[in-house]
Amino acid sequence: MDKSTQALNNDVMPTEQAVEILQSTKDWQRISPIAIIYFLAKFVAGLLSNIVYLLPTLYIGYDNFIAHPHLWLPIGLGLISVIIISTFLSFYFFQYRLHQDHIEIRSGVISKKHVNLPFAKIQNVKLEQPIYYRAFGFTCLELDTAGSAKQEAKVVALKVDFAEQLKKEILAQHKIASSVEKNSTDETSNSTISDELTKEVILNTRSLADLVIHGITNNRIWIFLGGLAPFFDDFGRYIVDFFQELGIDLEKFLTFADKPMWQIGLYALTLTFIILLPFTLFSIAGSIITFYNYTLSKVGDRYIRRSGLLTKYEVTMRLARLQMVVRQQDWLDVILKRINLKFEQSNSALNQYQAGAQNNRIIVPSITPSECLVLINDVYPDNKMMSIDYQSISKRFLLRNLGYILTPMFILISIFIITVDKANLLMALTPAYLFISLLIYMRWLRWGYATDDNFVYIRQGFFGVDYTCFPIFKTQQAQFKQSWFQKRHQLSSIRIVLAAGAQDIPFIKQENAYQLLDKALYQVESSRKSWM
Amino acid sequence: MQGIENFSNTTMPSTALPQLEQLNFEALSPSYAKSNRYISLFSTLFIVAVLLIIQLQSIFTLPTTASNVVSFFIGAIVFIGFISTIYIILADKRKFYALREQDLSYRSGVIFRKTVSQPMLRIQHVELKRGPIDRKIGLAKLQVFSAGGAMHTFEIPGLPVEKAESIRQFILDHKDVNHYG
Repeated sequence: MDKSTQALNNDVMPTEQAVEILQSTKDWQRISPIAIIYFLAKFVAGLLSNIVYLLPTLYIGYDNFIAHPHLWLPIGLGLISVIIISTFLSFYFFQYRLHQDHIEIRSGVISKKHVNLPFAKIQNVKLEQPIYYRAFGFTCLELDTAGSAKQEAKVVALKVDFAEQLKKEILAQHKIASSVEKNSTDETSNSTISDELTKEVILNTRSLADLVIHGITNNRIWIFLGGLAPFFDDFGRYIVDFFQELGIDLEKFLTFADKPMWQIGLYALTLTFIILLPFTLFSIAGSIITFYNYTLSKVGDRYIRRSGLLTKYEVTMRLARLQMVVRQQDWLDVILKRINLKFEQSNSALNQYQAGAQNNRIIVPSITPSECLVLINDVYPDNKMMSIDYQSISKRFLLRNLGYILTPMFILISIFIITVDKANLLMALTPAYLFISLLIYMRWLRWGYATDDNFVYIRQGFFGVDYTCFPIFKTQQAQFKQSWFQKRHQLSSIRIVLAAGAQDIPFIKQENAYQLLDKALYQVESSRKSWM
Repeated sequence: MQGIENFSNTTMPSTALPQLEQLNFEALSPSYAKSNRYISLFSTLFIVAVLLIIQLQSIFTLPTTASNVVSFFIGAIVFIGFISTIYIILADKRKFYALREQDLSYRSGVIFRKTVSQPMLRIQHVELKRGPIDRKIGLAKLQVFSAGGAMHTFEIPGLPVEKAESIRQFILDHKDVNHYG
């Protein structure tokens, strides 16, 4: 208590009254001036994320700038002062107050924004601590409401102790409100609130080695490469020039005509490795930055994820808000026997708030199968994700994709290639055809579904395998789809829409499809349980 | 859990659960299909007319390439308009909706038939949408939003206004009865 009092003394009010502050601060108050850094960082980050569009301007502008400093210097300085003034103003106009279990936030310089949130409506409390806040003991408090993205609120700079206290208060409020509403279900929750709030059980931690594995297996290099594509030409020329300066003629080196196959293969392998290595390192760095010091813990019915090297994130999720569990393995994960476990929440706010949506799910990166089982069983004790028999989808899935779509396309293109005398293109086309066929076959092999009294399980993937499991009553909408051709064979596809996204099961028997959908609707309508 | 005792969902078939397969589907308002046909027909005719005027007018002469392009577009639009009108006629015949005590269903599709069922308990809000033509002929489109997201908005087009209003009221009353959502 001592420490926090001291820490908070430079805030507007002392901590002794913190609890009372929470109850009855009617006055609008400003946050700590440290928030200026936050607004500045946000502005710069916004600028940097748009730098791709600005680059040509900067490039053209540079020469101009050097040539006429007397003209451009004042403009540059003016621009910088505008940035400084606008960040100061965003700080100046950011005010919040706590009033009768409501939190109100006023913000915005030109377009004003006023958010009023009752504590009871707040579903999610996130703490986000950027690196420049850490030295000063500040944090951002992000509040999430049930549905709409517009009602999201972020208090930009609060002392850590105060934020923690506020968080507890809000969550306790919510808990009381919800347990009063459903007074029948759990009588114990009221009496044990204080207990639960203090007792935090750590469920999982990730070591650095785990994060390195996560970085390797979840290599996002293809996205990165895609982004770089426009610069490949320049990049390649630069490399060739570089080697030429060293006295190595790459082009001669890579002329294959007079070399044995094994040498070419070795070259290809080395080259691939050399190219992949930096990207893998990049991806490992990304994984460590996001997941450093990862802990997943549990307080009462809340799961809390904490991680981050530069910016520390804390995501809290109530069990009731969980929509589905995804046990995800890419092909490399399958080989290394690692799993990414995802606890998905509602993501209907996703479109408007991308960064927030990313953090809205709780990911447990690269855990072992036994750890995964423990976690899934902790969340859904009576689930049978790994023990239930999955029913595979119909072979007509193969027939449709391979027989009616891919093969005719392949034959048509082949005929076309042969007629225009480019038969050697078939060398490239045939492996591509075989590979896609293999993909389709694996897709069919992986796709399966199962259901028991409470859950629907779906298995899918290509070379990797993902298991999805969700409580049936979380269904938002049920769709039954059937084409003419499917109808002839009494087959159909279904889609079950959840708040966390739609789940598809294609090519299953019509009667099974109807049974599953009827069951889903019945469970929603008869149980009357809320989906969150 | 307390809901189970007084749970009911009318169409009770032989098997235990209410079945989607045995929904009593109702047709949309006949004027909906009719208006769609006319809209498709007239918009095609309108575009073709504009293009014809451009080509046949004598105020300024088009270069030959431009003239060729315009006549190509006329052909293409006539073709697309014809196909789309036929498609609309076929598609509108196959749109139905069904109402049960606890859910709404909407069936559509020519080759790929699709039945979407929306439990009322999961509805977040309801909207009636009426464009100028809908207002003229007394139709309305019912839109129902759930937490499934904008991609999965449930909608029934071409309902007579009174019908749409009464369904909307039915949903709202349903929500009033139980406060879970």
